[in-house]
Amino acid sequence: MNQIVSIGTSHHVAPVEFREKLAFSEEQLIESLHHLRESHKVDEAVILSTCNRVEVYGVAHSQRTTESPFKVLLDFLSNYHRISVDTLKKWSYRHHNLDAIQHLFRVTSSLDSMVVGESQILGQVKDAFDFSRSAGGAGAILNRLFAKAFSVGKRIRSETTIAAGAVSISYAAVELAKKIFNTLEDKTVAIIGAGEMSELTAKHLVANGVSKVIVANRTYERAVKIAEKFKGIPIAYEENLNFLIDADIVISSTDAPHYLIERKPLAEIMRKRKHRYMFLIDIAVPRDIEPDVSKINHAFLYNIDDLEAVVASNLKERQQEAVRAEQIVSEEAKRFHDQLQILEVNPTIKALHQQFQQIAECELKACLGKTTLSDTQEDAVASMTQAIVKKLLHHPVENLRHAVNDGNADHGQYVHALQELFALDNNDDKDQA
Amino acid sequence: MSTELLHFLFLVTVLVYLAASIFQALYLAIGERSETPTLRPRIASIAFWGTCLGFVLLTLFIALWWSREGHFPMKHWTDSTAFFAWAITLIYLIVVRVTQLRAIGSLVIPGAFITILISYSFSRNTSALPENLETYWLVPHITLIFLAYAAFFTAFGFGLLYLMAEKKIRQKTNMLFHNLFPSLGASDELGYRCTILGVILLTIGMIVGVLLTQYIKNLTWRWLDSQIFFTVVTWVIYVVQISIRQLWGWRGRKAAYSEIVGFIAVLCTYIGVNLFLDSTHTFR
Repeated sequence: MNQIVSIGTSHHVAPVEFREKLAFSEEQLIESLHHLRESHKVDEAVILSTCNRVEVYGVAHSQRTTESPFKVLLDFLSNYHRISVDTLKKWSYRHHNLDAIQHLFRVTSSLDSMVVGESQILGQVKDAFDFSRSAGGAGAILNRLFAKAFSVGKRIRSETTIAAGAVSISYAAVELAKKIFNTLEDKTVAIIGAGEMSELTAKHLVANGVSKVIVANRTYERAVKIAEKFKGIPIAYEENLNFLIDADIVISSTDAPHYLIERKPLAEIMRKRKHRYMFLIDIAVPRDIEPDVSKINHAFLYNIDDLEAVVASNLKERQQEAVRAEQIVSEEAKRFHDQLQILEVNPTIKALHQQFQQIAECELKACLGKTTLSDTQEDAVASMTQAIVKKLLHHPVENLRHAVNDGNADHGQYVHALQELFALDNNDDKDQA
Repeated sequence: MSTELLHFLFLVTVLVYLAASIFQALYLAIGERSETPTLRPRIASIAFWGTCLGFVLLTLFIALWWSREGHFPMKHWTDSTAFFAWAITLIYLIVVRVTQLRAIGSLVIPGAFITILISYSFSRNTSALPENLETYWLVPHITLIFLAYAAFFTAFGFGLLYLMAEKKIRQKTNMLFHNLFPSLGASDELGYRCTILGVILLTIGMIVGVLLTQYIKNLTWRWLDSQIFFTVVTWVIYVVQISIRQLWGWRGRKAAYSEIVGFIAVLCTYIGVNLFLDSTHTFR
């Protein structure tokens, strides 16, 4: 029977030192896929190579029973990257059939990712698959398998909240802004001080529609330098915080030892901006914004701990959701596995039907040639032959399907026996394509 | 159509409203639970289409009752509360159509259910209007005023939504992202727009009411009719609220509170005056 195997390594089992040795560049991918195909030891292959994982999926069609596809892939990887088979075995996982299917589904559903529910992996697998397909690696079975894996990935995302809720500080800030403002389109963000986190948050806000960026710094030169990144407006501030009148979102991350924004002056600023909402994010330690600011009407203050609590609870929730997602993945993998097996016996069933049909037609022709029957009589004889063919085949076909559905591992033997006994010329590669 | 059949239609309408209210309330209530992403759209669509069905039935019932009575049925409590429920649902449907924000239904549709239940609890008797009030001017007058009340009720709903959502943001609840509350800005803005809509409808409704007096014979007209007095007070409250917002930027929490205060004034006008004071406008 067809075998689906996968061998791979990821951040779960191997350190980066090993993963980088196993990684493929684009040229290497083309070369490897060609090599694998030319070797005629596996029939289909897809290679996935990202910074967190390298995985090779292979399919060996039923005719090949000589060499284990695992061994083929292991040998190939070991030769290609000049790593001993033992080392490879130590730092990798190997999955077979149902397990391989389930593993791929887990990967595309981002259940196997470092951050569960992250959104990039689905695109990465898609790219890898498209690449392998255009390089001639993927065939009928892997096409089906990956198409299903993508739909499972999407299903998990829509039916669970595994990908909901921001799991980084900067996204949490964007999500919060969306809960406060009707729209971000005409809003202004002010960054006070410098820092990677505040710049990242500003970047996400701009990507979500914020139209204006004010960059405030103690020195004008630094403000200009940071402002360049966002096409922002540089401002040098001393004690005067009047630029906040225009700011709807304020991100503060200075290294000032005291509060930069205090309640009273901010209340005055809020009055000047006609009490439009202001969302203040204090990611500085020690804090830049007096906590009492949150008592001002329409001013919403979140500090670094608040944001981290949001992130932590979202992460926790994703993990809870992951349990449900795993269930869906198991069900889908089982179903796909069964379908694949039914698909495997279909060509045999078809060939059997064809053979019986042919014999029936042949004999019918011979018989009708010898007799003179009316049209209605001829029709009756023809439908009788059809009925006989149908009834003869009913039990063998049904039992074969049952053997597959019940997960009876012997169905391969059944297929083999049928092919031998009825001398079927079974070419299932063609039929499945 | 026989009276029994009409009563039965009304009972069905009440039950449909009950079911729709339950699903509407569920929609907002389960928003914070994580295991509901597939359930949520189903609940949302049952709530919405249930409300639509209820609205169609209620419209049908009012129309049939009207044609049976032969005049605009607006003398008794049972008539006016049913009509109020109808107006609330109409405004809700318009808001959903325009904004796609369904959360407001969780508050206003149960409100509509309660009004329609009040209507159901009164015995529905045929009641003739005083002959001198049988004029077609009465229809736009009452319709406009009730639509205005419904708009104020919706603004009240948005005020509540605002306060609930703001509380969550200030408390820094962890489940913040799951809830289906509109953003603060959206609740605030929509509450304001509903208030403006209400004021416009109320103003036109009052003008029509004044015109109405010209067509009524033998009207014992009193300018200090208590209903008129309280309606004017309500009108002033809302106009002041809008002006303050324009002048001093009273938004958000203050706007939400004033929407709530405004609606309490509406309730006083509608229920209080009818129950305790004497007026040409009484539904009894």
